[in-house]
Amino acid sequence: MQRRVSALRRAVVAEVEDINRLIYHILRGGVVVSVAVLVFGFVLVAMTGRPIPERSIPPRSLGDQLYHFTPEGYLSLGVLILIFTPVVRVLLSLLSFVKEGDRMYVLMTLIVFVNLITSLFLLA
Amino acid sequence: MSIAVLLILAIAAFLAGMGGSYLGIGGGVFLIPFMTLVLSVNIKVAIATSLIGVIATSSGAASVYVRDHLTNLRLAMFLEVATTLGGIAGALVGLRVPELFLYFAFGVMVLYAAAAMARVRETAKERAYQAGPEPRLTERLKLSSVYFDREDQGVYRYRVQRPVAGFGVSAAAGLFSGLLGVGGGFIKVPAMNILMRVPMKAAVATSNFMIGVTAAASAFIYYSQGLVDPGLAAMVIIGVFSGTNLGTRLLEHSKASNVRFAFAIFLTAMGLAMLLSRLPGVSI
Repeated sequence: MQRRVSALRRAVVAEVEDINRLIYHILRGGVVVSVAVLVFGFVLVAMTGRPIPERSIPPRSLGDQLYHFTPEGYLSLGVLILIFTPVVRVLLSLLSFVKEGDRMYVLMTLIVFVNLITSLFLLA
Repeated sequence: MSIAVLLILAIAAFLAGMGGSYLGIGGGVFLIPFMTLVLSVNIKVAIATSLIGVIATSSGAASVYVRDHLTNLRLAMFLEVATTLGGIAGALVGLRVPELFLYFAFGVMVLYAAAAMARVRETAKERAYQAGPEPRLTERLKLSSVYFDREDQGVYRYRVQRPVAGFGVSAAAGLFSGLLGVGGGFIKVPAMNILMRVPMKAAVATSNFMIGVTAAASAFIYYSQGLVDPGLAAMVIIGVFSGTNLGTRLLEHSKASNVRFAFAIFLTAMGLAMLLSRLPGVSI
């Protein structure tokens, strides 16, 4: 019985460790990818010889800019990736609560996620 | 933007990231005045850039704290419900209360929190698990947790007290941060540490985890209005993220009472700045 309990405890700790590690990588990965895209954007700036852009591109025009490899497009994309990193993290937390079957927290995380999406689209 | 300006900004961002990850704040309170006063950046662009910085601080610091089991994920999610609701309410309803009153009220509250933090030293004994019933809500939401303090190699269990009050304060923090474009950590850390009796390091770690979400919503709004300057943003992201590497290490190896005291000093400066900035004739 004791062994079952400690085996269970180890399993739970391993699960929690897993999620924590995943969050660690997602959060840091988001920044790294964002910086990589920004660096690419700066390379494009150097290549086209235009001055460094001072404004971000609104989301609607972004696709077109990316397709044409403009520096503004990729610099804006880099910034966007960073902004969305916490959103991805919230999604990850949602999945982990779903997996744990914790309905109260699934609900809370959903509320936070909806709030995020709402403020994104409501005032954009 | 000249290269010199960008480099200076990167260095300032590094310090902001370091301080932010140590104190559980986003660094916006440093970066915004720095950008507007020293680099003469337009205030809206400064706020937009600072929000980006807050997200970078949060991602850099919180990742480390989550991995090291400092962060209270459940408490963070519970309070995030409050801050996101507050943020939306603030954005939609707008500011009914005169700004002067807000600054005064928050200034006083911040100074009170600073005094509370400076008065009591957070010793191991104080952090120790207190026997007795925990609030029903805490029990139902499983908010209480445990954290590992690398400095004294101690494992500390703690109960989360007064969760409803904490929720209320977080909602106010969300409202306020939506207006100012800061992460709100300067309210969240005292709310958790003083009000809800969360040990200082766990409070710092949890706050860092939360502010990224708070900032992301506002950041996107500024972004869509074209207010983010990619050059400035890039410098801030790189600087801040590098700073968090140092800041997190500092936090984990510091005595908890020192962290709390450092935070008390920061809060005092903030409270005074808030109260004085709205005096007629003063421009901060």
